Amino acid sequence: MSDDVDADKLAAGADKPAVSPVQPAKAPHEVFSSGERLVSIASPILLLLAWELSARAHLIDVRILPAPSVVLATIWELLREGQLAGDVRDTVVRFLIGLVFGVVPGVFIGATMGLFRWPRAALGPLVAMLYNVPRIALFPLVLILVGLNEFSNELMIALGPFFTMLITTMGAVMNVEPAYRDVARNFNTGTRHLYTLVVLPAITPALMDGLRLSLGLALLGTITVEFLVGDSGLGHLIWNSWTVLSLKQSMAGLIVATIVGAFFYASLSWLERLLIPWR
Amino acid sequence: MAEVAIARADLDRREFGTRDAHGIFIQRLGKSFISRGNEIHALRGVDLSVRQGEFLCIVGPSGCGKTTLLRILGGLEKPSEGGLDFRIEHGNDPLQSMVFQEQGVFPWLTVLENASFGLTVRGVPREEREAASRHYLRQLGLIDFERYFPRQLSGGMRQRVNLARAFANNPAVLLMDEPLSALDEQTKMLVQEDLLRLWEGSKKTVIFITHSLDEAVVLGDRVAVMSHRPGRIKAIFDIDLARPRRALELRNDPAFVAIRGRVWDSLREEVLSSAATDRTDAR
Repeated sequence: MSDDVDADKLAAGADKPAVSPVQPAKAPHEVFSSGERLVSIASPILLLLAWELSARAHLIDVRILPAPSVVLATIWELLREGQLAGDVRDTVVRFLIGLVFGVVPGVFIGATMGLFRWPRAALGPLVAMLYNVPRIALFPLVLILVGLNEFSNELMIALGPFFTMLITTMGAVMNVEPAYRDVARNFNTGTRHLYTLVVLPAITPALMDGLRLSLGLALLGTITVEFLVGDSGLGHLIWNSWTVLSLKQSMAGLIVATIVGAFFYASLSWLERLLIPWR
Repeated sequence: MAEVAIARADLDRREFGTRDAHGIFIQRLGKSFISRGNEIHALRGVDLSVRQGEFLCIVGPSGCGKTTLLRILGGLEKPSEGGLDFRIEHGNDPLQSMVFQEQGVFPWLTVLENASFGLTVRGVPREEREAASRHYLRQLGLIDFERYFPRQLSGGMRQRVNLARAFANNPAVLLMDEPLSALDEQTKMLVQEDLLRLWEGSKKTVIFITHSLDEAVVLGDRVAVMSHRPGRIKAIFDIDLARPRRALELRNDPAFVAIRGRVWDSLREEVLSSAATDRTDAR
């Protein structure tokens, strides 16, 4: 509303601080020099090497922390036996179904709350309250209401992504740069074009950030649920191996779960570059 | 108030003798906000008549409400009092489009898509809208960058995209809200040249808000000076400099310097009293 240029500048005949006429496009990702890249690759390898050597030199108790080579051999063994592939498949399926169950309604309800005042007034306090419930504490209730089945597992996994996407989407919709809305209004933009050409692209970066958080929460939820009631999956493998004190199997499950998480995280970065080419 | 009434009567005699004249007629326009329980008058008693086809610049001290006035003209805000009458022939084309400050360009659309935005939302077929947009992109030296995203461009180029978007929409009236104020001095002059070239070949009415007196005198047929808050039109000056004008050459022209001096005398009082008000407010 205000023309916030101070009068002194006006008096001096000067204008607002200059923006350089040609500014190079900034790289979207940090660029490392070759030396830095070498260090970034070398440091995890050195850590593994130190771990392996200390295990072999009996500096650490291999019954508690098996050497990386032993863990790798265990992964190979579990793969050959065919158990690991089944566990990975069960975990990935649960994780993906839970993620979709959470993200899709979260985005829709969040967008509705961001766009319209009445839904926001009706659901806002409810969401704020439920968000603060420790989600895992709801599991017994869900098991009683829904039953001891796969659906209650997926529901539990969905809760984290649901609230994360709901809150992210609502905030993103409400915080769309006012200048963009002004342009849309001044050009008499209809509802369909307002959503497809303005609101959706404006909130996409925030949605991707929310999705990245949701990914971690869904994986956490999957492993937790498998700890508690699973009879399959990587969480079950990790927990079950620990109860029978087979720590190398437990470690193997942990490593594979990490690889699964990293795979989805990397896929998301790829998706982000595809969906947000302007960034 | 008396001063305004005289200015308005004078205006009407000179420019708008007949009742059915074309133009934009603003009468007794006012806008107030409630801020921390106090009513703030941003505009009060604004009287202004804009001729169809003229380039009118509005200058005023910071916080005088000139942006608010333009937003009311652009339909983004409603006036609290007074009247606004667009008596402009525009056929099937839109009545008005705004040129925004730099952040008004959509970062997710390419240069071509940005320039075509107004036509896209009006449902103009792709080939037609792209041809219209390319016409202006070519004139603004952006045709080789039509597939670029705004962040890959310089500030001056982004503002040219903003201009192309408004011109391609082909409105009868262009409302410009300090579109060049974020640019450095040299870039600004170059974009002013582009703007003058585009406008001089059109029959469009332009209302151009700026805080730069030089810019107002270089571009405008007339320059309206606004008072400090609550803003109203204090005085209007005819800028009798020949067209076509060259923004780069004009600044040392004795006629330009003389006119700028006259407008500055009027504006200076407002700047000083606006600064005095700010100091009181701060206390």
